[in-house]
Amino acid sequence: MSVIEELAREFGRLPGVGPKTAQRLVYHLLKSSPDDGRRLAGAIREAMERIRPCGRCGNFAEAELCDVCASGRRDEDVVCVVEEAFEVAAVERTGSYRGLYHVLGGHLSPLDGIGPDELNVAQLLERVRAPESRIRELILATSAGVEGEATAVYLEGLFRPLGLRVTRLARGIPVGSDLEYVDGSTLAEALSGRREM
Amino acid sequence: MRLSELSLRHFRNLGVQDLQIPEEGLALVGENAHGKSNLLEAIYYLETLRSFRGARDDQLVAFGQDVFRIVGTMEDARGSDATLRVAAAFQRAGRRKKVTLSGDEPPRLGDALGHLGAVIFSPADIAVVNDGPSERRRFLDIVLSLNTDGYLEALQRYRHVLAQRNAALRENRGQSMVRIWDRHLVEFGARVVEGRRRWLRDRGPLFSRYYAEVSGGPAATLEYRPGFALEGATDGEEVETALCRALEASSSREFRTGTTVVGPHRDEVRFYLEGERELDVREFGSGGQRRTVALALRLAEAATIREVRGREPVILLDDVFAELDAGRSERILDLMEREETGQVILTAPKESDVRFRSDALPRWHIRCGQIEA
Ligand SMILES: [Zn+2]
Repeated sequence: MSVIEELAREFGRLPGVGPKTAQRLVYHLLKSSPDDGRRLAGAIREAMERIRPCGRCGNFAEAELCDVCASGRRDEDVVCVVEEAFEVAAVERTGSYRGLYHVLGGHLSPLDGIGPDELNVAQLLERVRAPESRIRELILATSAGVEGEATAVYLEGLFRPLGLRVTRLARGIPVGSDLEYVDGSTLAEALSGRREM
Repeated sequence: MRLSELSLRHFRNLGVQDLQIPEEGLALVGENAHGKSNLLEAIYYLETLRSFRGARDDQLVAFGQDVFRIVGTMEDARGSDATLRVAAAFQRAGRRKKVTLSGDEPPRLGDALGHLGAVIFSPADIAVVNDGPSERRRFLDIVLSLNTDGYLEALQRYRHVLAQRNAALRENRGQSMVRIWDRHLVEFGARVVEGRRRWLRDRGPLFSRYYAEVSGGPAATLEYRPGFALEGATDGEEVETALCRALEASSSREFRTGTTVVGPHRDEVRFYLEGERELDVREFGSGGQRRTVALALRLAEAATIREVRGREPVILLDDVFAELDAGRSERILDLMEREETGQVILTAPKESDVRFRSDALPRWHIRCGQIEA
């Protein structure tokens, strides 16, 4: 396989990139200055080598802890539980949330063999039970589809008996939509209008 | 609606043909195995986006071809200028199905269903009586998906939650992992039950009348046997409560069998012959009585289209009278001549078998898939 073909194949594995777009990206890079290509390659390498899950919440992190966990200026009473790390950025963009996060890494789906052990549930329990924990509320921001709802019901059953306040994002977020695609003000409203489960 | 043009590309043995369909319909005459039913299958594909004979899409592509395509132009029978072009295509490689409505891809495949407003009568309909309960649920599901807003969505979601819940039961990780699916199971399950129950209640009397008219004797009735105790529930909320209770009561049986044992996926419909003693058609009915039940169900389906959409259904008759005795076929012909004023497309093996509207329907012929007007 030629170098060009190999690069096109790699681009083609990215989501939303078909074979034609992959070709276009390769030709665009080959036409631009070698520095541009090196910068892109460098940025990809840096990201892949340096980004890892935050040791506490599972968010993207460049150090042991992510920016949110390391900040020291966040409200440590409340934890917003999301399915995927990229959803943290969506909530952050609202600018209206000052608490911490916990990334589950997906939702319950017995059909796919995904139970609580396959998600970061034990880590959340550990955080809540830690002697220094100040967590008093969990905001469950799992997806609005059937699996996300079932995951929320499961977490509620697990954490409410521990004396936590457990809330769910207010309705108004379209069923089945990912947080990523919900606009900032809608999400901010859903956060402030969150309800006891 | 009626079908005014039909363009076929490599659907089964029908090759490449562009047909102008007469306003009143047509009678397609041809020997068996020359493709008569394939034409009806193609037309009905535009209604449900699948084969009425239960064939998979890749089985519908002509031998040696990769893609089939069917395009139907539909006109409002009441003379408005509005036409709709439904195009359905399937590619064997990649198993891709594409549907457009006058050129636009609808947001969901479900939005493309039911635009023709057709009912198909086929000898295979007898399975709705003879085979297991899933055939009767399938009949209801198709009629309701095509004619009731929100039914298809509720059904699909119900099936999805049910599959998750059953997987959770098989994993056997305890009550809590199963119960978390109940809220949605109950919500969508109740919507499915409400749809089915309402249809059977509203169309039941009509079914009985059709049955009596075709049989020339006593009527038959149908009865909904939901897959859990409804406990006299009369609205959606009460159905939800009843399903909740049934789930709780069946908990130990669920864990023993590893599957959800109550709910609309266990629904059944029974048919009874009226008389001194009510007799279950499935147990005691003759061949003629069973065929009549199947016909009466299709007639009730046609009546649903007439009422819900406010226009005559397109009637597709796949050599249906072949297996009825003379008395029954005379009476159903009478009944249909009276009720149906819309477009009729029928198939028959011989000229002399074309009895329905025999004077009015243009005769077309088919040989080895080639249709001649
Ligand atoms: Zn963190």
